[in-house]
Parts: sequence; structure tokens; C-alpha cells
Amino acid sequence: MSIVAKRCGVRFIPPSIILIYENKNTSKTRKRVIPVRNFSQYSDCSRAAERLKHHVRHSVYLESVSLAQLERLHLILRDHLKGLSLEESLAARRASDPSDEDLNKLSDEELNRRKAQMDQLFERNRKHKDDPDFVYDLEVEFPENSVRETCSWDEEPSDEGF
Amino acid sequence: MDSGGISDLDLDKYDADEQVKIICLGDSAVGKSKLMERFLMDGYRPQQLSTYALTLYKYTTTINGQTVLVDFWDTAGQERFRSMHPSYYHKAHACVMVFDVQRKITYKNLPNWYKELREYRPEIPCLVVANKIDADIKVTQKSFNFAKKQGLPFYFVSAADGTNVVKVFKDAIQMALSYKKNSSDFMDEVMRELENFELESKEESSDKEETQEGKLDSA
Ligand SMILES: Nc1nc2c(ncn2[C@@H]2O[C@H](COP(=O)(O)OP(=O)(O)O)[C@@H](O)[C@H]2O)c(=O)[nH]1
Ligand SMILES: [Mg+2]
Repeated sequence: MSIVAKRCGVRFIPPSIILIYENKNTSKTRKRVIPVRNFSQYSDCSRAAERLKHHVRHSVYLESVSLAQLERLHLILRDHLKGLSLEESLAARRASDPSDEDLNKLSDEELNRRKAQMDQLFERNRKHKDDPDFVYDLEVEFPENSVRETCSWDEEPSDEGF
Repeated sequence: MDSGGISDLDLDKYDADEQVKIICLGDSAVGKSKLMERFLMDGYRPQQLSTYALTLYKYTTTINGQTVLVDFWDTAGQERFRSMHPSYYHKAHACVMVFDVQRKITYKNLPNWYKELREYRPEIPCLVVANKIDADIKVTQKSFNFAKKQGLPFYFVSAADGTNVVKVFKDAIQMALSYKKNSSDFMDEVMRELENFELESKEESSDKEETQEGKLDSA
């Protein structure tokens, strides 16, 4: 069987992951409803997502669905169980400004995923030890001149006494 | 985590003149570990202390002909509780406090980290580090007022291209050494007293509930 996931979503009652997929052998598009069991408002979403991803019967259908997406869907389910509306939940997921995203709040897995994204730029800008122009103790002065512009990050009142 | 296990880490050894402890603080993913690794390159032996959620890097250097043993403490996930275990701060001689120039929230959280640091270590040198300047070199034309307001040294650095990384850590070692020479570690004594006090008052309150208030008053 060769399965290609087309869309993946969530249904609240009963809690389930809905998968629209195409079976490449038959060229037929189908819907699969995967019940999410043993899941409460206190459950660990990244672990639940992983469990589903490796589930004996469902894993073959979920192969092309990323763990990240499965985790996000579980987070939405969990928010629902906590009593949040779908809008509230989506707003919470959508970090409106990535500069405001609090990575302290992520699970290990999600944090590692964000770090892996950051690694792309890190590796691109990285100077390696065997680069011909590598300098171990590279020092660069950024002179404090009088026209230095104050960073807008300092402008808000949330300084809490500092 | 209980403080009973602290002796595992052999905290008393920092009393010897030529040994210092330097800690890293800052939010998740600001680049604390990458900075450590860039400074130490290959010559380090990280020690994972999982019970404390921290990594210990041992580093040896020579300053004015004297051998200096430096223990760098890096968090391994505990920073996400926005608070570190007291043993992390215990007898630290300097602190490298890091934020990410690409994420404002990590800058906004500096006052919280600084406050906690000062609760445990009111006097130790603290260096403020703006990391990831390679991602946006224009930020180096701006001034970030937090460090200035607190009277702390400030550095623009990049763990990726290496800018000023070695300088930060060398300065931190120098400052840690001079702090150690010039301080009596008064704070450590006070902390020990406080720990004792806590134990005693717990014992008393467990069997005599009503008299607890009077006892605390007289203490
Ligand atoms: N562009 C860039 N990325 C960095 C730099 N330092 C760290 N990073 C990225 O930030 C991520 C988190 O760094 P890490 O050292 O794990 O952060 P920690 O949680 O504070 O220890 C890394 O995976 C890197 O991709 C830097 O100087 N420049
Ligand atoms: Mg780290």
C-alpha cells in the first residue's frame, strides 16, 4: 500500500485525528478517522503524538504526516478538553511575533525542533577551525558612539523596576 | 532535587585560591551552550550532571604564571522553569548572562534572571552578552540599556562566527579571580545560617502549631 497524506485535522467529539489520504495504487482518496484514546487535559502532547505516529495500525497512514503537526493537533485537542475555544487555541499556537515566542515553555521535543531550525543559519554563518581565516580569539570593537540609537526593546514600560 | 546531595559536587573545593566557578544564565536557546563550546573548542570534558540538570565544563588556564582551574556551569534544561536551583548559584564567582538579539523576549527576561542571581549572589561580577549578532549585524549599532542601567559590562558576540566569544570568557575568568581575592564570601556564611534556621523552624512548627507565631517573632 502506498499512502500519501493530503490533509490532517482534528475532531473534538469523539476526540480523533482525521486524515484525508490518497492511495497511490488505486488513486482513490479516502478519509480515515483515528480515535485518540487515553488522552486528557493533563496528557503530554508530544508523547501522545509519538504514540500515534508509531501505532501498529495507523503508522502506515501517518508516515507522511510530521510529528510536529501531530503534536500541534494534540495541543488543540488538549486545549479543547481544558475548555478553550478553537479560536483561543489557534491564537495561542500562532506565535504572532516570533520574537515574542517564549521557548522556555516548549516541550523538549519542540525546543529541539526550534533549535534545529536555528541551526540552519548557525551553520551558514559558522567559522570552522580549519577555515583558513579562522581566528580563535576574534575580537571586534563596536565603538559606543554618541549617535547610537536606543534599541526599541527598551522603550516599553515592562521594565519591572529595573 | 534536594540540597542534601550537594556534597557530590564538592563545593568546598572552590575555596582554594586558583579555582573559580562561573555560571551561565539566560533563556532557552539563546546560545549558552554554543558559546561555551566555541570558547572551549575541542579541549573540554563536559560532565553531565543529570540530577541537577546541568553540564559542567572543566577548563584549565594560566594567568600571570598561575594555574587557574575554571568550572563553567551550564544549564541543561532547567532554565525553562525560569529559575535555577540554589546550588547552581552557590559559591559562583562570576556570571555570564546571555540573550538572543533575534528574540526580544529573551532580553525582556534579563531582569528576572538578574534578580534571581542577586538574591543568591549580590556581589559577583555579571557580564551581559548579546548573542547571534551574525544574524543581524545592524543590532551592533544600537544600545541596549539594561546593562548600562545596572552598571554591567556588555558584549556583542556570535557563537557562530566567534566574534568576542573568547574575550567574554577571558574577562569573566579575570573578574571571577579578582572577585574571589577581594571578597570574604560573606554571603555564603549568611546562606548557611539561613539554611540552619529553616531546618530548625520546620522541626518546631511540625509539633507545635499554635506557638509557631510567637517563636518566629522571638527568633
Ligand atoms: N546564527 C546564530 N545562531 C546561534 C548562535 N548561537 C546559537 N545559535 C543557535 O541557537 C540554538 C540554541 O543554542 P544553544 O547553545 O543550544 O542554546 P542554549 O539553550 O542557551 O544552550 C543553536 O541550535 C544554534 O542553532 C549564534 O551565534 N548565531
Ligand atoms: Mg544549553
